[in-house]
Amino acid sequence: MLKYTLRRVLAMIPMLFLISIIVFSLAKLMPGDSLGGEIDPANTDPEYIEQMREKLGYNDPIYEQYFRWITNFVQGDFGKSTRYKIPANEIIMERLPNTIFLSLTSLIITYVLALAMGIYSGRKPYTLGDNTIAAANYIGLALPSFVAGVFAIYIFSFHLGWFPSNGSVDISVTEGTFEYWLSRFHHVLLPAFVLGLLNTASYTQFLRNDIIENSRKDYVRTARAKGTSESKIYNVHIFRNSVIPLVTFLGFDIVNLVGGAIITETIFTYPGIGQLFLTSVTNRDYSVLMTLTMMFSLLTLVGNLVADILYGIVDPRIRLD
Amino acid sequence: MEIMTDKNSAVNIKPPKSMSPWAIARRKFIRNKLAMISLCFLVFVCIVSFLAPYITTHDITRINMGSFSLEPSSEHWLGTDKNGRDVFTRLLYGGRISLFIGLACTAFVIVTGTIIGSIAGYFGGTIDNLLMRFTDFVLTFPFLVFVIVLNAILQNKVSGVWVLIMVISGLSWGGVARIVRSKILAEKENEYVLAAISIGCSPFKVIIKHLLPNVLSTIIVQATILFASMIVAETGLSFLGFGVPSETPSWGNMLSFANEPDVLQDKPWIWIPPALAVTLTILSINFIGEGLKDALNPKSYR
Repeated sequence: MLKYTLRRVLAMIPMLFLISIIVFSLAKLMPGDSLGGEIDPANTDPEYIEQMREKLGYNDPIYEQYFRWITNFVQGDFGKSTRYKIPANEIIMERLPNTIFLSLTSLIITYVLALAMGIYSGRKPYTLGDNTIAAANYIGLALPSFVAGVFAIYIFSFHLGWFPSNGSVDISVTEGTFEYWLSRFHHVLLPAFVLGLLNTASYTQFLRNDIIENSRKDYVRTARAKGTSESKIYNVHIFRNSVIPLVTFLGFDIVNLVGGAIITETIFTYPGIGQLFLTSVTNRDYSVLMTLTMMFSLLTLVGNLVADILYGIVDPRIRLD
Repeated sequence: MEIMTDKNSAVNIKPPKSMSPWAIARRKFIRNKLAMISLCFLVFVCIVSFLAPYITTHDITRINMGSFSLEPSSEHWLGTDKNGRDVFTRLLYGGRISLFIGLACTAFVIVTGTIIGSIAGYFGGTIDNLLMRFTDFVLTFPFLVFVIVLNAILQNKVSGVWVLIMVISGLSWGGVARIVRSKILAEKENEYVLAAISIGCSPFKVIIKHLLPNVLSTIIVQATILFASMIVAETGLSFLGFGVPSETPSWGNMLSFANEPDVLQDKPWIWIPPALAVTLTILSINFIGEGLKDALNPKSYR
């Protein structure tokens, strides 16, 4: 298992190298360059612009520019954000905790809801409760996250006034106090719920079907024949077997959260890296844009790796190498 | 003696013709009420959207000075938006664009995925290795991130919805290619394939005439799932402002008005219709997909 993991991690390096070439070419293909975002072309002397271009190396051959970028990049120098006038890693680090907080909350919401609903549905299939949950799941699967977000703001923020509709924290509270954390939690709850909605529906459905399938197996019949109580059969015997496949979804969660964060953070104007990515595309803030794209690609690679490794761990019959 | 007569009569009566797998599937699908209602709804939405110019007479492009943000009335069934354009008319035209993009992307993805998957699965060896490594590579791109970046690059150079269609389909054929490859790999071990090769069928003919029809049910189910996710992709991107150009009405573009707090709070007639249209369309496609999966699965008896 360790050998396999190491091999996969090493295989990620050429993959990341290829992705870096593509990210760099895409950034070069985008209209305008980062100098255009920094200065006002109407008020600046064209000669000065040309001098600056020469000084910043924009006139060098493209491969030299690439090598300069990638050498700096692997050394942790991601360049300077033209919009925020600070190094790109600083602005990303400032936003990253917000996104991690949002993602973790949404994961907790997803798994708690999916476990509760899935276990109930699996234990009492084809009843009124199960059908209600199934209907809710169908709607949850069909509701795109941005529609869900818009409806959530309309109902819970504007009409009921339970949750704030934007931001990550109240401006009036001081950092570090109990109120500060309470306010952050209050702000994150609605976007996290919207972000977790889609996965909740599919995980519930998965868990339900798995529990029903397991309840027909021989080991359950044996347990019943021994006189094990029904609740112990479901909560111990079946639950253990059904919850394991659910763990493997964790890898895909990492992949899904990348796309989900971009949409959800935009709707709720939540200052995380997803929103930062969109503003960097609009403002042609290249260093931030390239760093974030590389980061998202790395996350996708890691997510797929985690999924594969978890498969091997929970089901030893799958031979990985 | 009785047994004899029985046998004779059995010979005389023509045995009832057994149904083809497609006929069985069709009958199963028609019996599935939810799927049939969804299919009717989807067909209705498609017809209404594609016949939009014949149904409404309002002008979608002209900005009407006198009628900004009007509430629903008998003249404007769903009211007007902030530029004074009729919401109902835009909803129909928007459906046209959104459904068209969804269909076009699905077609491209299915065709590309099937071609690459079947070539990789049939020939195997080096070709398979090369094609699948390429597929893996495309699959590692975070979809939304690269669609946004690519669309931002191309939108200024080429105009119209085709950019979006190409970008979305170019990044999402990987999954279909993998599924088709694995199905072809399993199917080509059958003896009828060996028979076809030994009587001199070209690889092209074996794939088209013998292998693909047996993989078709999987492809059809995949296509319905894809259709739904492609519509979500288009509306989501347009909602974020990185999809269809903003002057073209699409469900996503109409929904993006909800980004303005006063529209979201006080003028729900502007954003609720496209939101409902998207959700109901996806819901009906999902039900059709479930119905098809059930109908095409020979193991399910209903």
